[in-house]
Amino acid sequence: MTKLLSYLSLVLLLSSCFHLDSPPEFPKTSEGYRPIYANADEIEKVLITTPQPLKSPGKIYIKDQFLFVNELGKGVHIFDNKDPKSPKKIAFLQIPSNVDIAIRGDILYADNLKDLISINISKPSEAKLVHRLKDVFESQNYPPTTNVRFECVDSNKGVVIGWEKVLQVDYTLNCYR
Amino acid sequence: MKKTQLLYCIWGLICLQSCQQTANDSVSPFGNGTGGSMARFTLGDGYLYTVGNSNMSIFDIKNTSPQKIKTINLGFGLETIYPYKDMLFIGSNTGMKIFNSQDPANPVLLSTYTHILSCDPVVVQDNYAYVTLRSGTGCQRGVNSLDIVNISNPSSPILVKSIPMKNPHGLAVDGKNLFICEGSFGLKSFDLSDPVNPVEKEFLTDVVSYDVILNQQKLIVTGQNGIYQYDYSDPKTLKLLSKIPIE
Repeated sequence: MTKLLSYLSLVLLLSSCFHLDSPPEFPKTSEGYRPIYANADEIEKVLITTPQPLKSPGKIYIKDQFLFVNELGKGVHIFDNKDPKSPKKIAFLQIPSNVDIAIRGDILYADNLKDLISINISKPSEAKLVHRLKDVFESQNYPPTTNVRFECVDSNKGVVIGWEKVLQVDYTLNCYR
Repeated sequence: MKKTQLLYCIWGLICLQSCQQTANDSVSPFGNGTGGSMARFTLGDGYLYTVGNSNMSIFDIKNTSPQKIKTINLGFGLETIYPYKDMLFIGSNTGMKIFNSQDPANPVLLSTYTHILSCDPVVVQDNYAYVTLRSGTGCQRGVNSLDIVNISNPSSPILVKSIPMKNPHGLAVDGKNLFICEGSFGLKSFDLSDPVNPVEKEFLTDVVSYDVILNQQKLIVTGQNGIYQYDYSDPKTLKLLSKIPIE
């Protein structure tokens, strides 16, 4: 019996050495991720504003003569594209952490971190939030990819709205997944 | 009498004009919009499909308050979703999943086309799916290629051909036209007269491109340097219509 126990403990000891989640040794300069934080109450600030400068264009979408261009993590630029030779900026739809949209009729659906929001855009320059479906999307608490090092999430700093790539040498990337 | 008729006529015309103007300023309450191949959101008949890192969610959006009706776990690494006829094509970094969406509330997984770990959006035309595979941080062992997959039997997709590319991202197909965003390398256009033998026509190396949408012989491409629009009605050359620059 004692023999069996000692064998078992040996097996346990050995298996702990080969723990699958142990991070591989990365060179100091390898890439990693750092969370981008925002205040929880800032995230739900969805509103229509005057046109904003196009800085980091993301995905594009069209409906009727309108062109929608995502500003990465910030919202959606709305253009009147009746004449593709001279698209005209109409307004900016501020949606923090937004990446994707889809439009059915005159309702625009967008991701707003973990929520799915519906916005009436029948008059794009007077767009209005009409519905918020809470907590339907995955949290951003992990980087967009696996097998990477990242700075551990600290909930005291706010809510994670995205991740930025960094060189490991710049930060303490003490988490791994 | 004639004068009154004329006045009515003018009044009518003014009304029509104003109607026209309101119509032009507003988004129609009918029809669905169009996204690109990199989209994680797409629409079915009264349903919204979204893909997260590891699952697809289905929302009933027939009413003003959308409801989540289902979440299907599909494993890590999902990237894109593309609708074609009554099917949904999901690009992941291990392959392409094909769903039958005849019953839009209950899509059924038909098959998974697996490839080397890579990132990949997909578009479909007739019997073929065009899948771009690219290397990148999330897909370290990735290759860069365009895979043409025969999906005439969507339950059993077959790789027809793999064509080397530089760093392909979004893509779009319309009849004999195929466009591929090569990331920082530029934008490529192909003649697709033969659906399994795309012939490169143009390579615009100054257009940093991430995704592309086609609409009525016009192409809209997005990338780090801004939004470009081209007319592709002339099969030989893309004609630049406008550029929305970065500010």
